[in-house]
Amino acid sequence: MSGIVRGNVGFNDLKIPGMWSRKIGKDLYEVFIGPQHPGSGHMRIIIRIDGDIIVEAEPDMGYVHRTMEKLSEGRAWIKAIPLFERMAIHDACNVTLPYVRAVEKLLGIEAPLRAKYLRVLLCEINRIAAFLYGFGIFGVFLGHSTMYMWPFGDREVWVELAEWLTGARLTHTYPVFGGVRRDVPEGFTDSLRKAIRYMRRRLEDYRKIFVDNPVIRARLEDVGVIPRNLAIELGITGPNLRASGVRYDVRKNHPYEVYDELDFEIPVFQEGDAYARVHQRVQEILQSLRILEQVADWLDKHPREPVMHERFWKTAPPLYKKIFQETGRVKLGAVMAIMKIPQGKAYERGETARGEISYYVESDGGNKPYRIRIHSASARNALVYKYIVPGHRVMDLPAIYGSIDYFPPEADR
Amino acid sequence: MSPIISDIIKIIIWPPLWQLIVLGLLLPLGVVVFIIWFERKTAARVQRRIGPYHVSPRIAGGLQLVADLMRYMFQEIIIPKTVDVAPFIMAPLIALILSILPVVAMPFTSNASYFPIGMRYSLIVALALITLSPIFVIVAGWASNNKFSLIGGMREAYLITAYELIVMVSFLSASAATGSFDLVKIVEAQAGGKWLGLLNPLALLAALIGVLLSTSGFPFEIPESEHEVVAGAYTEYSGLVYGINMGAAYLKRMVYSILIALVFLGGWRPYTPGPGFVSGYLIPSIVVFIKATILMMIFSFLRAVYGRYRLDQALDIAWKYIFPLAVAGFGLSLALAYLGIY
Repeated sequence: MSGIVRGNVGFNDLKIPGMWSRKIGKDLYEVFIGPQHPGSGHMRIIIRIDGDIIVEAEPDMGYVHRTMEKLSEGRAWIKAIPLFERMAIHDACNVTLPYVRAVEKLLGIEAPLRAKYLRVLLCEINRIAAFLYGFGIFGVFLGHSTMYMWPFGDREVWVELAEWLTGARLTHTYPVFGGVRRDVPEGFTDSLRKAIRYMRRRLEDYRKIFVDNPVIRARLEDVGVIPRNLAIELGITGPNLRASGVRYDVRKNHPYEVYDELDFEIPVFQEGDAYARVHQRVQEILQSLRILEQVADWLDKHPREPVMHERFWKTAPPLYKKIFQETGRVKLGAVMAIMKIPQGKAYERGETARGEISYYVESDGGNKPYRIRIHSASARNALVYKYIVPGHRVMDLPAIYGSIDYFPPEADR
Repeated sequence: MSPIISDIIKIIIWPPLWQLIVLGLLLPLGVVVFIIWFERKTAARVQRRIGPYHVSPRIAGGLQLVADLMRYMFQEIIIPKTVDVAPFIMAPLIALILSILPVVAMPFTSNASYFPIGMRYSLIVALALITLSPIFVIVAGWASNNKFSLIGGMREAYLITAYELIVMVSFLSASAATGSFDLVKIVEAQAGGKWLGLLNPLALLAALIGVLLSTSGFPFEIPESEHEVVAGAYTEYSGLVYGINMGAAYLKRMVYSILIALVFLGGWRPYTPGPGFVSGYLIPSIVVFIKATILMMIFSFLRAVYGRYRLDQALDIAWKYIFPLAVAGFGLSLALAYLGIY
């Protein structure tokens, strides 16, 4: 679309120190999309329209702010993991892994190789599930009810796999300091391969009914274009950034766990419009499937070994080791809850389904965090509405909103 | 039989009354209940769900719609303080009446004693009555005094400009072919399998798309597009009045389908109406309804396949592609008339 207006439209006219002011536009119709609106998440976008054209758009976040950073200061280190999962429950492993890794950095330990593979396994399962969730929301935003139901149904495959692996459908709390909570169950990799084959087949179905659908193409092509320089300027991350032509993925640029040993590519699209973001996510799912295949092969080839760091087994009672050998489950003792983390600062980052998440963790040597600062992907991606929505039509708003795959609980924390 | 009872029966089967109440309201309502069930079931089938089930598992959830209707009937009707009450209440009711009123101009038989209102210009009158109801959608949106309602009403207004001409031109191509505005003559001209829809598929296609635009069916479900304007003009409605709004939209589509069945799909043909109520009125109207129901099923299946177009794209498609298509259909009808097929 040619009429994209960039910059702070109408916000520069009046300057009051410390105040954000706006000139009232004549003939503008102000519509509050959200927070109680079927087309908004837990957020509000205030749009001002002139006829059918959006002139100004203000993303108004903060409706699901839960003070997570502050809450984490009042609880034991390990109890912060289930807390941070609540940012993006369907992407739980990706969201909490950098925190676990940062604390491991402070402890000066590293998880065993098998645990690293298991972490990657759950991360990619979560990533696919999160993409499918985003697809479902996107589909219903465009009025495509089949694309709402199909990904949500197929997401169940991955959620069930995650449940089989970890015991929980969504909030797995799978990576813990020093390793993971469980080893893979018997027969898991066979089911995983089956799921991978199934997903490849289903992506073909999605292509037929959604991606190549003429109505969907008409709605998405050249809509919500994020130019490359704007994407960099705003600090957009994740698939949205890559769809704008920037080759940046934490898994490749700053590899963690075993991503540097795995063979996968970072898909990049140059167009930067909503349709490119759809293709981007389809390609990301295909790459995740590729990673999962390699992880499944690795798990089959290598014998079972304890999935926790040896320091854990030293402090744990012998019974715990026996339980692990019999069931493949790590029993976390009380020592985890009273564990003191050495004084220091650590910074870690990871790639979630929606982009880069980074944790700054500071410890004063106590059994509770001194300060944890989280920078999540959705908080950065949400800013983009203000810059790319103006100039579009009202009906483009759900298309842009859905294509950004914005997740308010992750942004507000 | 006592004279009073026979008089009552005479009044009931008096064609204009029978046509409006039974063929215009009750039978279409039954068809609409079936169609909504069918729509939900096919969509569920495509989407690998079960669909309505728990209300009556033995007949595959067939009573779900009745249950929904009961819920609408006993739900509290909330009238916000800010609305303009009289138009707010009247608009959906008038829209409902105007949705079914075109039926009184549509004959379901060639037997002259069962014409609802015998006239030579029934196609024109039916089309004219059909075009009245959108005005009251706009009134409902305006009276609601709600931003989403207003935008929804305005979208309806935009779309009228897109579909009205298409519907008119494509339906009137039947008159161009047969040389008559009388629906009975149009149907009788199609006897012997010379369905206008088969000989003039362009006009039929234009009419189908025009009806989709007019009744906000997918992929043109724009005035009630949930993710921008909540429920469009009906955002502030609740309870039975909301149910009437929704029902009116389906009834309108049903009336359009009946008209397409008459004009393009040979009406009551291949059946030839005979004398008497059953063979002269009941059976032909059932034939027409079966054809219209099949059309409704096609319309509802599109929900599972398409998303919705943007408002400007819908107008674009309507004016750039469908309107020329309708005009081409009109030309084809003239050619058919010139060749003397009808």
